[in-house]
Amino acid sequence: MSTNEIAIGAPILSCHELKKSFLGVVAVNGASFEVPKGLITALIGPNGAGKTTVVNLLSGMMKSDSGTMHIGNTDVTNWPDYKIAAQGLMRTFQLSRELSGLSVLENLLVAKRIQSGESLFNIFFRNGLVKRDEAVNIELALNTLKKYGLYELRDNRASALSGGQKKLLEIARGVMANPVILLLDEPMAGVNPALIDKIGEYIIDLKNQGMTILMVEHNLNIVEKICDFVIVLAEGKTLATGRLSELRADEAVVRAYLGEVINANTSS
Amino acid sequence: MGLNIQFGETGILNFAYIGFVAVGSYVTGATSLPKANTGIGAGQHYILGLNLPFPFNLLAGGIVSSLLAVIVAFIALRRLRTDYLAMVLISLSLVLYDVCNNFVPLFNGPDGLYNIPEPMSGIFHLDSNQFVGFFAGVTGIFALIMWLFMSRIMNSPLGRTFRAIRDDPGVASALGKNIFKYQITSMVIGAFFAGIGGGLIIQFGGSFNTSAWLPGETFVVFAVVIVGGVGNNLGLLVGSLLVETVLVHLPAFLPDIPGHTGLIQYIDAMLIGILLWAMLWFRPQGMVPAKVRSTASLLKKYALKKNPDLQNVEVK
Repeated sequence: MSTNEIAIGAPILSCHELKKSFLGVVAVNGASFEVPKGLITALIGPNGAGKTTVVNLLSGMMKSDSGTMHIGNTDVTNWPDYKIAAQGLMRTFQLSRELSGLSVLENLLVAKRIQSGESLFNIFFRNGLVKRDEAVNIELALNTLKKYGLYELRDNRASALSGGQKKLLEIARGVMANPVILLLDEPMAGVNPALIDKIGEYIIDLKNQGMTILMVEHNLNIVEKICDFVIVLAEGKTLATGRLSELRADEAVVRAYLGEVINANTSS
Repeated sequence: MGLNIQFGETGILNFAYIGFVAVGSYVTGATSLPKANTGIGAGQHYILGLNLPFPFNLLAGGIVSSLLAVIVAFIALRRLRTDYLAMVLISLSLVLYDVCNNFVPLFNGPDGLYNIPEPMSGIFHLDSNQFVGFFAGVTGIFALIMWLFMSRIMNSPLGRTFRAIRDDPGVASALGKNIFKYQITSMVIGAFFAGIGGGLIIQFGGSFNTSAWLPGETFVVFAVVIVGGVGNNLGLLVGSLLVETVLVHLPAFLPDIPGHTGLIQYIDAMLIGILLWAMLWFRPQGMVPAKVRSTASLLKKYALKKNPDLQNVEVK
């Protein structure tokens, strides 16, 4: 079954009993959850809960010690990251990792997944095909840049962008690859409030286009505003899953993470 | 140029570059000579001896050098990154050197190969002096072809992916690029160029031995790339003119300082070192910095000519 045939809301990405430790320090200790298709899912949890490690495991940048994971019905446990990307899962990084020596436009162009111009044979013997494909890609990349407000910066080296612009570039680059699932690792960390709202809108927009989104996020106001579904991690385990309103009634979740926020909200 | 695609474009620190040049040179020499100890090959020991005509011997040099790159890549590149890879490659260069220097049956040990037939001089009835000018022209043509070949790769989406891997292999991999595959491609192209370059050296000079490629020579090639400007062909031209011609070869024509024979060579080596250091410190982008490829140039190249739909994408 391809990922296209999965109904909206049915699980598209799932992991079971994922474990990972670093030199004896357990980072992820049996995380199991399912990410529903076509919705925005938040991955929350206190610092050190293993959120980023889970993202690294899901995207294939790290190999898990044990456990399984599936995209659709395909078992992708411990596949290398480039193969997982080919399955339609694309990630962004918590600390923006732009390709510094490339222009902003090239950062997007490079993200296109299958390019005829990446084959040595095609470059020399099927130049027409390469040119046609490249033209389409350039148009797509320019339109994507326009959408994310980076068009004016297209010819700058990516290293010259500001922190917020780099965050936008990370997202735009992920979108350019047209993934089925987009993993956003704290897309709004260290960004000014106006841009946070903007990024929120972009994410909702992507969902409306049918993309599945899993985002690591600390700010519960944002989670409440844009996310449909929440996964709470604590001490490397899945503590609870559900809607944020339901989770607020869950005592364990409140104790682990939400407590202070809810108290702050009620007292103000 | 070969090192530029490996180091400047893909970020592989190939400290064994001169080894690939040498392999190309030896193989070209050995394939163009007749069987060992016969005819002009008398008194020499070597393998192959295929008596291949130009340019097939040159091609053989390039191909064997590429094959070596594939082997090295599968062993070293698969597991190691940057610093460690660089160390392995330095040792590779030393091992290659020692093997060629001491294992006489391979390429005649420290004496190297000599009496290599002058390519095509038979066809055009050239004497030795005419041959020098003629072959300089041939080398120029080869350089031009290689330049065009390399520009094509560097300006293509493949070149862009190479640069993405140079900037951040982790991101490139997360974007779905099989970086090992691209690094092998880059290694093979670079080694092929090194091999051809080595082949041209032996064809030009007629001989080649271990004194011509001390492993330290690799750093002169690195100096060419770094001084000229990492990641672009024009920079390489400037770099090689400055480092190779002015600093490496010109001093050979200077008169000796009386009483200090050979002192000039040492000063020369120091100058290259100081230049390398100064460039890295004050101008790391090189004499001719690589330009960012602009949208306008990309549109001109790919879009506006063939794809009329794109004309409504505004270009400022």
